[in-house]
Amino acid sequence: MSIVTSVPPPTVPGAAVQIPPARPSSIPGPFQFLGRSLRTLWANGKARIGLVILGLDILVALLAPLIAPHSPSATTFPPYLSPNGTNWFGTTGNGQDVFSQMIYGARISLLVGIIAGAVATFVAVTIGLIAGYRPGIIDEVLSFVTNLALVIPGLPLMFILAAYLKSRSVWTIVLVVAFTSWATGARVIRSQASTLRTREFVTSAQFSGERLFRVVFREILPNMTSLVAGSFFAAATAAVMAEASLEFLGLGDPNTVSWGTILYYAQQQNALLTGQWVMIFAPGLAIALLALSFTLVNFGVDALSNPRLREKS
Amino acid sequence: MRRVSPVRSTMLWAAAAFCLVALSACGNNSSNGSSGGGTLTIQGDAGNPTLVENFNPFQGSALHGFNLIYEPLEIPSPIDGSYTPFLATGYKFSDPKTLVYTIRQGVKWSDGKDFTPADVVFTFNLLKKYPALDSKGVWQQISGVSASGNDVTVNFSAPNVPFASSIAQTTIVPQHLWSSMSDPVKDPNTKPVGTGPFMLDQFAPTQYSLKKNTNYWQADKIAPSEVVFPAQASNQSTNQLDVVSGKFDWSYNFLPDVKTTYVSRDPAHNQYWFPAGGTIGLYLNLTKRPYSDVNFRKGISMALDRTTIATKAVNGYLDQASMSGLILPNLKKWLDPSLPNQGLVKQDTAGAQAAFAQAGYTTQGGKLMSNGKQATMSIVMPGNFSDWVAAAKEVVNQLGAVGIAATLDLPQYAQYSSAIQGGTFDAAIGGFGGSGDPYTDFDVALASSFATPVNTPTANNFERFKDPAVDQALATLASSTDQSAQQQATYTLEQAMYNKVPIVLMYYGGSWGLFSTKRFTGWPSASNPYTLPTSYNNSLLTVVTHITKA
Amino acid sequence: MNYVVRKGTLFLITLWGAITLNFLLPRLMPGSPVDAALARLASSGVPITNAERQAVEIQLGSPHASLLSQYGDYLSGIVHLNFGSSYSFPSETVAQTIGKAAPWTLGLVGVTTIVAFIIGTLLGVYAGWRRGKTADTTVTLGATFLAAFPPFWLGLLLLYVLAFKLSLFPIKGGYNPGETPNLSPSFLADAVYHSILPALTLAITTLSGWVFGMRNNMINTLGEDYVTFAEANGLRTRTIALLYAARNAILPNVTAFGLSLGAVVGGSVLVEGVFSYPGLGNLLYIAVSNHDFPLMQALFLVITVSMLVAIFVVDLLYVRLDPRVRQA
Repeated sequence: MSIVTSVPPPTVPGAAVQIPPARPSSIPGPFQFLGRSLRTLWANGKARIGLVILGLDILVALLAPLIAPHSPSATTFPPYLSPNGTNWFGTTGNGQDVFSQMIYGARISLLVGIIAGAVATFVAVTIGLIAGYRPGIIDEVLSFVTNLALVIPGLPLMFILAAYLKSRSVWTIVLVVAFTSWATGARVIRSQASTLRTREFVTSAQFSGERLFRVVFREILPNMTSLVAGSFFAAATAAVMAEASLEFLGLGDPNTVSWGTILYYAQQQNALLTGQWVMIFAPGLAIALLALSFTLVNFGVDALSNPRLREKS
Repeated sequence: MRRVSPVRSTMLWAAAAFCLVALSACGNNSSNGSSGGGTLTIQGDAGNPTLVENFNPFQGSALHGFNLIYEPLEIPSPIDGSYTPFLATGYKFSDPKTLVYTIRQGVKWSDGKDFTPADVVFTFNLLKKYPALDSKGVWQQISGVSASGNDVTVNFSAPNVPFASSIAQTTIVPQHLWSSMSDPVKDPNTKPVGTGPFMLDQFAPTQYSLKKNTNYWQADKIAPSEVVFPAQASNQSTNQLDVVSGKFDWSYNFLPDVKTTYVSRDPAHNQYWFPAGGTIGLYLNLTKRPYSDVNFRKGISMALDRTTIATKAVNGYLDQASMSGLILPNLKKWLDPSLPNQGLVKQDTAGAQAAFAQAGYTTQGGKLMSNGKQATMSIVMPGNFSDWVAAAKEVVNQLGAVGIAATLDLPQYAQYSSAIQGGTFDAAIGGFGGSGDPYTDFDVALASSFATPVNTPTANNFERFKDPAVDQALATLASSTDQSAQQQATYTLEQAMYNKVPIVLMYYGGSWGLFSTKRFTGWPSASNPYTLPTSYNNSLLTVVTHITKA
Repeated sequence: MNYVVRKGTLFLITLWGAITLNFLLPRLMPGSPVDAALARLASSGVPITNAERQAVEIQLGSPHASLLSQYGDYLSGIVHLNFGSSYSFPSETVAQTIGKAAPWTLGLVGVTTIVAFIIGTLLGVYAGWRRGKTADTTVTLGATFLAAFPPFWLGLLLLYVLAFKLSLFPIKGGYNPGETPNLSPSFLADAVYHSILPALTLAITTLSGWVFGMRNNMINTLGEDYVTFAEANGLRTRTIALLYAARNAILPNVTAFGLSLGAVVGGSVLVEGVFSYPGLGNLLYIAVSNHDFPLMQALFLVITVSMLVAIFVVDLLYVRLDPRVRQA
């Protein structure tokens, strides 16, 4: 660790124009880091597309009350309408405006995707770090649990958990999804942590008496940011798909409006029969695009950590 | 020698396999065997997910085709109650406690043996011996059955003229086969022998077919030579797609926007008839608080906007229902003139809140609370009854507006049935009435004899309503032959329904008859309403004896 | 031999872990699944004899017995394939219900994996061979996009266009109504015909695993010395790619197989419902919507164990195909 000192400029007569001392930047560190990462991501073609789609989704979700022409749950329209002047995507069997539902639905899908992804990543990082840093019995046990979680089929486990849990809120979905998606990230982080454990800067930190906590979070973790980010985006992708699946099966909250529930009602009210293919096409496409955007950004994150994967621009 | 690359060879194999499969599968798409006369295809029972072979007419899980294999004595029309004779040529009450049927002569069972009045007596005694088979509760009303000559006499314990319709609809089974059955309660009767127009031909897990019984006593009146019942999927939208793709001559399925989705596909042949088949209501479990409080029930009834519910549920095909319990205008002659507005209840939020207050519930911050807890309600119904689900969703919205947190429970049909029969539900969507006879309608819904304790299954009165005045009115209606006494008793029953709200009746449920006249004509319709278009009960027999080749 | 022993031990330990997880799940859930299960069974008409109650408690948790003794009973129940009755299908045991549906899912998963493997591998070869060019980007982007499709959504679209509008495929079912399942060639052909749409749906959404795995293999193989040698000898790049590189790169990637199998099994729950295909996925859907806990428990166990067995078998086969692994 170097200590930054400011060196006073030389006061020799005839010297060159005084160079003002470097002021510390007014932008705080983490944001600088974010800015740099975004720029690198943007340079990657695939990640750029992903960022654009993601940005659009976030924008729509934030501005939903301003963009949506009607309330998503008000049942004031005639049912089973095809797209027309008032209802651009038609209406549901209950007489709700599908376009407004699509706009508001972005909120739930994004929320669940990001939060479930974050929770899953948090669990993955915790378990992975502990397992990687502490060899021996702890590592063996945690690795076994991780491997088990990897082979157990996630979707069936999710359905069963959702069926057992009586409450049907969005948070149930977040929990269930996070519970089944942490394993891949945990394995990756564990292997990286155990590699870093033997590197010199860690050993030197240990020898200088740093506590475990500080070593893990100050030394190891910053070297794994792209791995953690990659793990987050992968988990978020899985979360978006899982949430849609749960809702399509009717295991979600029937009172919320999300892209998955639009598809659920499209199926129940047989949009195929009434020829309302937009009601089937639009939410599915939106889900696919959101999941795709996370994956595409992940390509860029991979390139961040592995220069060999960077595209020859 | 040039070796074919593995990639190419893989592609070639894949292509070859695909062609082989496609060719053999296409060649396999033969239509189901027909032997002249014509095949009648009726949308069959719901698989769970496949059909279980059961032709025991007394079990609730029997396949509907049994209605074409066996016959009852007579079938009353569910629309106006008029009788069509089958195994009995007529009936009369020699006195209010004695019912005499004249049995048809010259009828044979499908195995060639003669049908005699002894078979009728045997059937009724079978129900007495095994009460689990007596789903209509026959032996709660009668004391004995005997035969003499061509007549069968049924003795009642107390006079009950309207109950004749239940007696008449009892399916008659052959004594020479059923007397040696070891357990008629459980026996699936996979080799059914009946007097009806058809016999079992083949059974497969996804379809069963019946072939014509040439010994049938009116065989010349039967147009089809074969009846095929393909099973339904558990996925309702798939069933709807099947229906509109023209697979069936007769199907029973709610279709949204039927003119566009069905009729327009083949305007020359596709027709539909959606008469009111009953009333759809919100059953409240009277054994549970707060539904045991009549004020709470009244509050719920006043909080609902039934017209909107009807629009959401049945798309404008049918209307709001009357809280008198009668299907109007069909049964208008029985309507109690003292009921305001023909029993039609309009939404009255202020009135609802006053009623809730009387039940101890007040509105705080938009929630209906009592003792610091918000009122909740779980409404159960089969998840694939899309019109019921649409109605329930609207009910949830409207109850939410008065502060009740209602939720939906959407299991498969069998589980819904268990919940209502066992009385373990909060609230349930269910059907009421529709038999064409007020006595039967009110009896099955309100008679305390059906109100078993919770967890003991009952076939009727799921809400477990008990009221001595109502039982008395039912007894009067059953026993009197005097028109004005019958009317008064019916008025009492209507008032009980209107004032005590055991079931919150909402809208008229449709009987979703969908027909094609490509192969057969003579289907029931608005211009020819000889029965309801229900393909899951003895209307099957009535319709099959009416239709002719196109 | 060492490899087999190692993989075998791993398999057994993971198997034990999955079985134990299945044991713990209902006992960790809030509320009492046992009471709910018994109540529903009773109202379905299944007589609650002591044997029946015991079977349910073994699966879902008994308030009386200690956890350890419950575990012993649970394991012996599994060995005897005794899972009790389900209230969705009260006329048969859970084992029978699952036994009828299992072959259909096996068939579907098998057909899907083969189709996805063939198409994915071909695309992966193409993309790896043309690395960096437009073709490569199209394939990788395309595969990623397809993987983002929710399988049930794709199923609905295919159902609408190919089955409903164009009548090229059946709308529902595993076989023609009226047939009884048998092993005749015509029935098998009919079954395959009915499985094409669900298999296509699942295959399209699970392609990307194979595409990327094969592409990476190709890229690595193309960097090998013998390929450079072949190029130096004047062979055309295409010949090299197809005759030499692909043959070596085509060795199935076991990890990819495991992942793809998980995705197919998970997706089958959704897709079988859309096509009313009579497999385990459809059963799980029915069980979940009925809160049929005994059936859910048994299904979860069967699905997990089958996956583990499949991966283990592939692990063993892989040794035969690629001797390099033995030294690992």
